[in-house]
Amino acid sequence: MEKLMDTVVLMLEGSEVTLEIFCVTLVLALPLGILAALGRLSPLRPLSRFMEFYIWLMRGTPLMLQLLFVYFALPMVGILLPDIAAALLAFTLNYAAYFAEIFRAGIQSVPRGQYEAAKTLGMTYGQTMRRIILPQVIRIVLPPISNETINLVKDTSLIYILAMNDLLRVARTIVQREFDMTPFVVAAVFYLAMTAVLTWGFKKLEAHYGKYAK
Amino acid sequence: MANTQNEDVMLRMRGIKKSFGSVEVLRGIDLTVRRGEVLAIIGPSGSGKSTLLRCMNRLEEISGGSVEIEGEVLATTTPAGAVEYTDAATCRRLLGCTGMVFQQFNLFPHMTVLENLLEAPVHVKKRPREEVLPEARELLAKVGLSARADYYPAQLSGGQQQRVAIARALCMKPDILLFDEPTSALDPELTGEVLKTMRELAAEHMTMVVVTHEMAFAREAASQVVFMADGVIVEQGGPEAFFAAPKEARTQAFLHNML
Repeated sequence: MEKLMDTVVLMLEGSEVTLEIFCVTLVLALPLGILAALGRLSPLRPLSRFMEFYIWLMRGTPLMLQLLFVYFALPMVGILLPDIAAALLAFTLNYAAYFAEIFRAGIQSVPRGQYEAAKTLGMTYGQTMRRIILPQVIRIVLPPISNETINLVKDTSLIYILAMNDLLRVARTIVQREFDMTPFVVAAVFYLAMTAVLTWGFKKLEAHYGKYAK
Repeated sequence: MANTQNEDVMLRMRGIKKSFGSVEVLRGIDLTVRRGEVLAIIGPSGSGKSTLLRCMNRLEEISGGSVEIEGEVLATTTPAGAVEYTDAATCRRLLGCTGMVFQQFNLFPHMTVLENLLEAPVHVKKRPREEVLPEARELLAKVGLSARADYYPAQLSGGQQQRVAIARALCMKPDILLFDEPTSALDPELTGEVLKTMRELAAEHMTMVVVTHEMAFAREAASQVVFMADGVIVEQGGPEAFFAAPKEARTQAFLHNML
């Protein structure tokens, strides 16, 4: 029993890294995703082409490869980032690309009449986006965003290969040391708990933003 | 005398042309709307009525001709044939004189009825909310929807939504109100309440341009009727003469089919 408690305490420490990657990535990648979506939809050809390329690059290569690239290849050209920053850079760039496509689909599903109504009321592009379009987009994109967010919880385990002590790595270290599989089970419970909290949170958000639909 | 007449001109369009790609939708339209006038634009679908209306408030940009709002130039065409719109600030000010009511209502679905009305006065005109609030409530009373102030658009019938859309446009105090087939998306039994609201506005001498298929409304509420076909104005006149004795064969054929 005492051993289990020790395991849990160690793994709680591991969860800190996991949670840090998760939270910071989410906070950075969501706004970045919105900006990338707006860029992708921009009438400025070079901007929209660049965003298209960025999204293709990020979605077209494994996140694992991107992590290794930022961690091992960038230092070779003189860009040396602290471990956690390297991981965050790769995660944020990757997730922003996925979020961008979700937001793009959301923005495009708002009827043109909404833009026209805003325009005839004298609203600027910024006001139209901020006050009219994006609030409607949020409702549309919540389910797919929720999906990606839950993926992110589990993808954080990829930093395992960068030798950072996240939840999964701590679990494996204990397993190897003690010849006991319990830490894997504990890790699964930890991931499930985080996912449960997220699922509950998104349900609340969907109810909040869905209140205006009949 | 000429001067006072000019002052009364709210909207003047000259030689308006509009093409979408190689399709010429408007082929030289001249139109004048005076203060307090209700101009009904009728005609078969595809005749360019809605496009003409949308050229008035720059939802579409003209391909040729000129638009003046309250005596100031919104857009003009150079002798070389290039269309030039006035500077952004003037455009904004002139277009602020116009309001629009759409076929599909286009209310903001994430805002309550009251918030729909307050949105533009508060965030575009930057007026204090408390100052606009009584005006918004008064407008809702006027369109008969005081009891629905805190409802969301999806909770209202089409006719109610359209009346909210009219109130929302009025809340910006426009000088000219443009209606793009305001009853075409409504069930027949709901058109009456919207037309009643529009008749009341006409009786208050609101300047209105109405693209419509409602011949009864055009006959009773309009001061001028314009018949369009194939991108040109075929016939124009006061409603009595227009409906009782149309001159052009196309007008006669159209009215014969509609009535």
